[in-house]
Amino acid sequence: MFDPALFKLPGMRKLAVWLSILAVIEGLCIIAQAYYLSVAIVGLWHLHALNTIVRPMLLFALAWVGRQLLVVVKNRLMYPIVEKTSGDMRRQVMQKLYQLGPSYVAKTGTGNVVTTALEGIDKVQTYLMFVVIKVIDMMVIPWVILIYIAFLRWREALFLLAIFPLIIVFMIILGYAAQAKADRQYVGYQRMSNHFVDTLRGLPTLKQLGLSKRYAENVYQVSEGYRKQTMAVIKIAMLSTFALDFFTTLSIAVVAVFLGFGLVDGTIGLLPALVILVLSPDYFLPLRTFANDYHATLNGKNAFADVQKMLALPVPTERLQLGEQPLNWRADSDLQLTNVNFSYDGNQLALKDLNITAHGYQRIGIIGASGSGKSTLINLLGGFLSPAVDDGTIAVNGQTVSHLSQQAWQQSYFYIPQNPYLFHATLAENIAFYQPEAGLSAIGQAAEKAGLTAWIQTLPDGLNTKIGEGSRGVSGGQAQRIALARAFLDDSRKILLFDEPTAHLDIETEAELKQTILPVLDDHLVFFATHRLHWINQMDYVLVMDHGQIVEQGTPAELAAHNGAYVRLRDEMVGAI
Amino acid sequence: MKDFFGTFKHDTWVMPYLRKYKKLLALTLFLGLMTFFCGSALMFNSGYLISKAARHPYNILMIYVPIVLTRAFGIGRPAFRYAERITSHNWVLRIVSDFRKKLYQAVEKHAVAIRQNFQTGDVLSILADDIDHIENLYLRTVFPTVIALLMYLIIILALGYFSWWFGLLMLLMLGLVVIVMPLWSVLINGARETQSRQIQQTFYTQLTDAVMGLGDWLISGRQKDFTDRQDQPIDAIAKLRRRDHQFQWWRDFTIQIIFGVICLALLVWSSFYWTSDKASANWIAAFVLSVFPLVDAFQSVSQGVSEWPSYQRSIKRVNDLDTTPTDETDQTVLTEDFNVLRVADLDFQYTDTSRQIFKQLNLTLQAGEKLALLGPSGTGKSTLLKLILGDLQPTNGTVQLNDVPVSRLQNERAQLFGVLDQQPYLFNTSIMNNVRMGNEEATDDQVKAALKAVELEPLITALPDGYETVVEEGGARFSGGERQRIALARILLQDAPIIILDEPTVSLDPITEAHLLQTVFRVLNDKTILWVTHHLAGINNVDQVRFLEDGQFDMAGTPQDLYATAPRFKRLYDLDQGQED
Repeated sequence: MFDPALFKLPGMRKLAVWLSILAVIEGLCIIAQAYYLSVAIVGLWHLHALNTIVRPMLLFALAWVGRQLLVVVKNRLMYPIVEKTSGDMRRQVMQKLYQLGPSYVAKTGTGNVVTTALEGIDKVQTYLMFVVIKVIDMMVIPWVILIYIAFLRWREALFLLAIFPLIIVFMIILGYAAQAKADRQYVGYQRMSNHFVDTLRGLPTLKQLGLSKRYAENVYQVSEGYRKQTMAVIKIAMLSTFALDFFTTLSIAVVAVFLGFGLVDGTIGLLPALVILVLSPDYFLPLRTFANDYHATLNGKNAFADVQKMLALPVPTERLQLGEQPLNWRADSDLQLTNVNFSYDGNQLALKDLNITAHGYQRIGIIGASGSGKSTLINLLGGFLSPAVDDGTIAVNGQTVSHLSQQAWQQSYFYIPQNPYLFHATLAENIAFYQPEAGLSAIGQAAEKAGLTAWIQTLPDGLNTKIGEGSRGVSGGQAQRIALARAFLDDSRKILLFDEPTAHLDIETEAELKQTILPVLDDHLVFFATHRLHWINQMDYVLVMDHGQIVEQGTPAELAAHNGAYVRLRDEMVGAI
Repeated sequence: MKDFFGTFKHDTWVMPYLRKYKKLLALTLFLGLMTFFCGSALMFNSGYLISKAARHPYNILMIYVPIVLTRAFGIGRPAFRYAERITSHNWVLRIVSDFRKKLYQAVEKHAVAIRQNFQTGDVLSILADDIDHIENLYLRTVFPTVIALLMYLIIILALGYFSWWFGLLMLLMLGLVVIVMPLWSVLINGARETQSRQIQQTFYTQLTDAVMGLGDWLISGRQKDFTDRQDQPIDAIAKLRRRDHQFQWWRDFTIQIIFGVICLALLVWSSFYWTSDKASANWIAAFVLSVFPLVDAFQSVSQGVSEWPSYQRSIKRVNDLDTTPTDETDQTVLTEDFNVLRVADLDFQYTDTSRQIFKQLNLTLQAGEKLALLGPSGTGKSTLLKLILGDLQPTNGTVQLNDVPVSRLQNERAQLFGVLDQQPYLFNTSIMNNVRMGNEEATDDQVKAALKAVELEPLITALPDGYETVVEEGGARFSGGERQRIALARILLQDAPIIILDEPTVSLDPITEAHLLQTVFRVLNDKTILWVTHHLAGINNVDQVRFLEDGQFDMAGTPQDLYATAPRFKRLYDLDQGQED
């Protein structure tokens, strides 16, 4: 019931003690309130005048207010810890995210990451707020009440004591039954709920196929099927609530009848009987509130586990093997990969036995069919992926490093992917992302070199126009130019990683963009993954990849000279045309 | 309040269903009422029972009726509650079926423009969420509130029967709980909801922005900026939540205090009204004890009602959807076989912009001809396709199949046009079902033949479930090239004379692209093809090439002619072939 991780939260143990003490006091308030209310009623029952029951009425009021105040006090005590925990959790998630890097996001999905950090933690908050107080109440208050009832009359107390575990056993049995039923239907259920969104997303296709109008009836029928299935599950699932309700209300009824007989026999007076009757619903109340909200907070429990799992993921360490300052990559610098392997899951190798020597301002093209490992290699070179420990060696200027997720290395290159990401900010801020202090005139010059000037002139606020998602649409070619402008603005980063930068552009845009890219390539170490063949003519060294291995490497002229993988690949790309 | 009625003024989503299923609705409310009635009656009866028993009746039969009633109410409450929950869920799910159909029909009208009008699937998910929201509106707000109001009415009438002034007093006190507190809650929460939405939205955008640009953050080394940026919305959300919680705690506290006062008031009233003789004094405990079970019923109203603003947003959003039926009176059919597609003197501009996209555009496509359409992005290639399909209407000029304007052939569209676009959608069902959508009358053998023609037979037969393999959401089970082939098989079954290829290879690598184009042009050999493409791979498959620039065609001819005579075409062609230096 209690997640052990909960007690690891700072301050939780101490708080649990306080909450337990307050729960005891609350139990006493409940008893006092029941007692004085009964005294007042019995007074009237004896046909005493109103002024004789003023004192018990006041004491009842006092106990009632005290009890309600205690509820607020408990919440107020609990809340700071919940708030701090969820706030800290959000911050930790953000920090972890930064350490895990884009490969984690690629694997998990942007939507999932954002949902975890936003709604996930909201749910955790609700869960924390709920679970601790309710569980402690449930473990303390019924006992306090029961002990008091036992003092008044042990038979009813025994009955109430016996019924409590019975209810819990029934709820567990029914809970399992419902779970089993739900599990059996889960596959079908899942498909049903996806069906509607699936249909909406596929609407253009349905229309193209002439099916869209008729499909409305299908939507209805599927939804009705879903309703019938859901109802079958609900009928079972609600049985556990029914059992809880049934046993508690019936117990109260039984207690009332017991007491009635006791009164007729004269074995108990009206006052204690009334007190017991007033107390019995309160005896079950903590259990009922817990059960009512329990299912609603299961999500929170799962979200809590998810967040804990994410925070426990391993991150690259030893990020400072090359020092803290960016590298000064020069014409005589070199990068050496020897027998490097990489695997995503620890089993199958995604990159095998890589041997690469990059020297000074070389331009290295990486080609291969899709799925051959080009992007994985670029990600490895960028340090977004780390090779397995002790699997080959990587050396930068002779200094061996365990991976390229080195702070110094990462601050020495630019990475230009197929779709560069544009931040939700002004155009100037986007260009100056890597140099936030850059002045507007420097930014303007970089934009000019990247061929953006004509487009900027059409923008309402020029460089200060907001771009990015939700703001002004930017075409793929312009996005590439903005990424290039970043490189023009900051000339200190001498390494460029391109991952198919023109793959999705139309041929004319690509031709224009190429003219902009060419000058950037000078005086830089360039890794250029592409399957557009014309780029190879600009490279002075080529790695041909297939199934995660470098099957051939050399200058384009060397590779073209003998009939190997390079020639075969070129033929295949062009051949069918 | 005006706001409240405004929401329902032109409502076609909530009120009609309340009327449509009114019997089931009445049953639900009745059961809900009985649940609380039994709960209260149990305590009432028990109170009377022990008070009466305490008078030591000489015969047990004197308290026999209350004993039986106590048991009846004890069993009745859970039984009614169970029945109430089942019927209310059943009722709501029934409505949801209607909603889904209606939402589908509303969106269907704009099916082709869906990617523009509704952007992405995310917006569609929001619409789907709205339906869930309305579902909760009933379960969490409408039912509890109506039931509580009915209880309120019954209690006031019952007490008023005994004593009009006490009835009046309770009218006021309980009114505080069922009317004033909920209204106050919704007022406070309404303002906060707006603020909360803003902050959540900011946080959401910022977070998405940060996550999507994570690579850039990482290599820029701006870790501090990265974390600092999230701090502000994190704190803002925390502050908001704190105020939210505090409001709820004190609101619930206040409601409880009111019930405490009601209890005291009952005692005072009893001292005047029920103390005339011993028999009537037996009723005092009954009245006082019956208050407590009611706290549950009345307290949930405030919370339920305070959620109204978020439901209201959903109701507004679905009501904003256009659900008027389309006018189909001028639709006709093509009587003879398709012969020629003619675009004549076409002018087009979108109503909300000033730029004219096409000026006096002319294009003729004879049956069996194959034409490739090129041009930089933004020149209107997709717009031209929409005009040809009839999704857009020309500002001037005509688009005709044979002699019939395409706008009058919309009902017959699937028989005339087959479309293969960038991302043909595969539904989350078997390959067999997906392909059969092309022609629902097709036999299994015909479906298999189509899949064989697109060269998927070896792949599919090697799968454990063969043709019954489920493609998963969006076709995720298969690669981009394989998805296109499945869609192509679907088009083969559809067997329309004109095929529109809308950049079908844009996300494929060159080798996959080359193979797919080979297949496409082989299996569609006898069709009329209009192919929009972004580069020149496979261009030799077509009879004619058109370059679209500034609203007109500026290069036109066979690929061979253009290569020989147009230097621009030659340069692009060579670039695509990797021969340029």
